[in-house]
Amino acid sequence: MSTDNKSKLWSDIRSKYSIYFVLTALFIISWMANENFVSAENLKNISAQISVGTILAFGQTVLIISGMLDLSSGSVLALAGVLSISSYKMTGSLLIAFIVAIVVGVVCNILNGIMITKFKTPPFIATLAMMTMARGAALMYTNGQNIYQIGNYIIFGQGRIMGIPAPAIFMIIVLLITWYILRNTVFGRSIYAIGGNEEAANASGINVERIKMKAFVYNGILVGIAGVLFMSRVNGGMPNGAQGYEFKALTAAVIGGTSFTGGIGTAGGTLAGAFIVGFLDNIMVLAGVNSYLQQIVRGAIIALAVIYDIQAKTVRTKRKHGFAEVKQSNIEKSI
Amino acid sequence: MKKWLVAFLVVSLMASILAGCSQPAPAATEAPEESETGEKVYRVAYIARAQADSFAAWLANAVKEEAAKYDNIKLDVFDGQANDDTENGLIENAITNKYDCIMIQPNNGEAQRPYAEKAVAAGIVTITTNARISGIEGASSVDADPYAQAAVNAVLALEQVPKDAKVVVLNGPPGNFHADARRESWQKEFFDKRPDVTIVGEEIANWNKDEAMNYMETWVQANDRIDAIISMNDNMAAGALEVIKDNPKFKDILSYGVDGTAEACLLIESGAMTATSLQSAYDLATKLLDTANKLLTGVEKQIDTDIDCPLITKDNVQQYIEMHKRAGAIK
Repeated sequence: MSTDNKSKLWSDIRSKYSIYFVLTALFIISWMANENFVSAENLKNISAQISVGTILAFGQTVLIISGMLDLSSGSVLALAGVLSISSYKMTGSLLIAFIVAIVVGVVCNILNGIMITKFKTPPFIATLAMMTMARGAALMYTNGQNIYQIGNYIIFGQGRIMGIPAPAIFMIIVLLITWYILRNTVFGRSIYAIGGNEEAANASGINVERIKMKAFVYNGILVGIAGVLFMSRVNGGMPNGAQGYEFKALTAAVIGGTSFTGGIGTAGGTLAGAFIVGFLDNIMVLAGVNSYLQQIVRGAIIALAVIYDIQAKTVRTKRKHGFAEVKQSNIEKSI
Repeated sequence: MKKWLVAFLVVSLMASILAGCSQPAPAATEAPEESETGEKVYRVAYIARAQADSFAAWLANAVKEEAAKYDNIKLDVFDGQANDDTENGLIENAITNKYDCIMIQPNNGEAQRPYAEKAVAAGIVTITTNARISGIEGASSVDADPYAQAAVNAVLALEQVPKDAKVVVLNGPPGNFHADARRESWQKEFFDKRPDVTIVGEEIANWNKDEAMNYMETWVQANDRIDAIISMNDNMAAGALEVIKDNPKFKDILSYGVDGTAEACLLIESGAMTATSLQSAYDLATKLLDTANKLLTGVEKQIDTDIDCPLITKDNVQQYIEMHKRAGAIK
């Protein structure tokens, strides 16, 4: 292999997998900083801690790739969670409780989708409105009070299967489904097409409104699942819970390489983004870093990770363009 | 056609705004209402810090229930949404609407101080609560003392926490009056008197149960022994206890909170939690309405009063569980 080809191959690998390099580097540094970091129980804890935010982040990834976003996911999670717990306390059925959460998530997201597709409301505004309405509904339903004594409902968030925390298993299942949808289905390819160029997608026969609505329905299902896991993990129905989780989810998706301009993003990248934030939070607490300093370090490392990722992608784009230019000049010469 | 429609809508909107502005505020011109007994009915605005905050919601509900017992008081509740600007705007609106009394539960005492002073200057009965804004001439206050709330726990911990203990500390949001005063109280009443105790983890969990859980999960990994959880509220203590509830290594752990929430009472009853001190929204509401009534009817000119902060332990928890059952918080 020539030096140029080797260099190109390395550059491609670097640009495609840069976020995983960052994650691996952070893992090694954390391991060196504190031996407890790599204990199986600590890694399981991190997986459980990031699971709710990461499940929301998969929904955000699908929406961002298609050129939208959801600011209401934290509030809808709270509404879905308290209604789910309430229905469990009324019926004693975990299945009904789970279905209620998903139905609430989907209904709220269909409303988001209608505002965006039918009334052409910008996603930022439509989901901001839903954020306020859903939080208000959760508080009104519970009169602002937490719901306690939730019995077996806790198995969703606190149960373990073969020693692995149940929320982490939910997260892995959602990862696989999201990965499959984005990579292997017409719906997934349509999402990338719409996010890349909506007009071109429309011209090529993709029903843009229908795909956007489907993206919100998928996001709604994930928000419902996250609602069940969150409330179950904290052992109570908390109408004011999960505040700011929409930003946790957005952070994981964007660190993982999902582009706000649409058309770019992967489920694996989002998972890596979520683990970067999870590792950082964990190692700083293990190392006893001052609480205020933690916020500065967290912000700085997130910025550095994204800068590294963007730089790596820019190199690949330049190489591609450069390659295309050389090819074009050869064609011109031959003519 | 569209242009005409837009023009029509704009003109209609402007006309309705101007019509609204030209009318005097209803409260300013209405004759004072009277109760069934012919007594004057006083209009009272209760401005809550944030109804999304579970204690603030509990207090707002308790104030509503208590106000219903007074024939001469008509209460309106407003939500400051944990935002200084929103809360200040609500105080200004209440002044403009000429309420007879404004009760302020500040989001940030110093941010609301000039607006509370404006209310006093407008001749409105002004009461600050949870936490009081002290030093406003002419204003009254009803509060619980956050230093004392933590101190009753700290005194108990002095006896209970073993020698050379390792403890973790969960703090509320920095800059919050109650969070800072409770932490200061633990420092002076416990840590300064027990130099043998080591803090192996201290974090800001912002009163939140889920944040406290995450920190405790990590501390448990880093420390084979934790003898006590010292939390500035019950919610965070409950979160930390959730993590270790099935872990035999921590079965004898001590844990202290503040607030006396329904969940904390149940944890104390089950033996999982050691103690908390009650910050009763019912007691605050009772004193608030009594204070408002006395000031509005001219019985007194200024009142500054505190509610008690009784310590809740396994010995007396049943009476507080009954209190929460009566309120519907425990079913």
